[in-house]
Amino acid sequence: MNLEEQIISIIKDNIEEKYDITADTDLRNELGLDSFDTMMIINAIEDEFDITIDESDFDNIKIVLDIIQLLQGKYIIVTGVKNGINEFL
Amino acid sequence: MESTNFYKRFVVDKSIAEKLNFNPYYCRITSGIDGTVEINGKEFVDLASNNYLGLAGDERVKNAMIEAVKKYGASMCGTPIATGYVEIFKNLEDKLSEFVGLESTTIFPSCYQANCGLFLKIAGKEDLIIVDHYVHASLIEGIKTAGCKIKPFLHNNVNHLKKLLEKSTGYRQVFVVTESVFSTEGSIAPFDVIVELCTRYDALPIIDDSHGIGVIGKTGRGILEEKGIKDFQGIYTASLGKAIANTGGMISGKKEIIEYLRYSCSSLIYSTALPPAILGGIEKVIEIIESEFDSISRKIWRYKTLISERLKDCGFQLENGQAPITSIFCGSFEDTIKMAKRLYEHNILSTPFVPPSVPPNKGRVRLIAGADLKEKDIEKALEAFAAIKVRNINHRTFKVGNYYSQYQQSEY
Repeated sequence: MNLEEQIISIIKDNIEEKYDITADTDLRNELGLDSFDTMMIINAIEDEFDITIDESDFDNIKIVLDIIQLLQGKYIIVTGVKNGINEFL
Repeated sequence: MESTNFYKRFVVDKSIAEKLNFNPYYCRITSGIDGTVEINGKEFVDLASNNYLGLAGDERVKNAMIEAVKKYGASMCGTPIATGYVEIFKNLEDKLSEFVGLESTTIFPSCYQANCGLFLKIAGKEDLIIVDHYVHASLIEGIKTAGCKIKPFLHNNVNHLKKLLEKSTGYRQVFVVTESVFSTEGSIAPFDVIVELCTRYDALPIIDDSHGIGVIGKTGRGILEEKGIKDFQGIYTASLGKAIANTGGMISGKKEIIEYLRYSCSSLIYSTALPPAILGGIEKVIEIIESEFDSISRKIWRYKTLISERLKDCGFQLENGQAPITSIFCGSFEDTIKMAKRLYEHNILSTPFVPPSVPPNKGRVRLIAGADLKEKDIEKALEAFAAIKVRNINHRTFKVGNYYSQYQQSEY
């Protein structure tokens, strides 16, 4: 599972309804996410990668790809989970 | 800098109300609530208030309030910690504790203030609060004051809650916060399972039973009775302005925590105590519930069934709630207000919920049929639902979003 697939999977597991989600999905306009949804996703990402995310980093997040780029850029996560083992720098 | 620039920041967007020529909010009512209310000289069936048991206009309650005024006056003009702790305040605390089956209680001017004041006193940055995604704004605001880590869990989803609890180590205290009845949809929290999980993971459960007290449970004592929870170790809050038909809020639980709040909780000790009339009225409502709950509650469940069945027959899409609340799913902001308007045009008063009270595009119109409604009022409402449907069929150009979609699919 690459990082994109992993993030999409985390989002799907932490929202109330089932949606088809891609890297281009708009979190607010298409999924209707509120602040608690965002908090659930941030918490799940933190647990998954064992990192602490500054919640204000999500202020400018619009689409799923923005999350991936944030994780790759600021948090230096380059790949996701392979065979159940976290693989990131 | 001109001060007018400051005031330009505060603008209420009423564009949808203006477009529809209908504003459901701050509607001026010129009567009391007694099944019906008067608006603009017309009689409306009240499916909007939270007067579940219909006791707000009960003569016995009114008389008890008058007697309290006669004995104590309009107000004690003091906070509970000062002159507000009149004997009737203390008696009501004890009565409420006994009613919900907990050790001790303190009474706030509102449940909003109870929820907002509570968390700052019991939690801090070393703690974790796990909270249901859809809890009331007062709980969210209260939780945020604590400055601790917050982890929401998916609505009423105990599997998600369990996963979060499993990973919640290293905190001084973990709290799990939820409501008994989620009032925009009528769902009831699986609180027995939540309490069990809290016990297993050493977390403290906190429940807001505002729409449960006086409504659910075999004898109307709320969520703890409804779910058969004995020896509750957590914290319980509730509004006294819904089924209890007055105003105010309560926090109940172990003696130690209630005593601590009595001396420290700002929203309690810096607010004027509820006046004697309110305390006397609540005391009478509790007495009535204790002796008449069975017959009163039978009425509200019968009304709920009649309303829900008719709405379903008319093709409306309903939320699947277990409380005596009927919630019509409408979708967008505009479609929700339109639905409330259609009901209003048939002299039915309803409560439309739009964001931020509900998630975006999850607008709904809530109907609560209290026990003070008469059969003829219910009949009027049922006729209105059918008329709204008939009107839609006759005028195909009129469509109110998703609530009408099932019928369209089957009939068009």
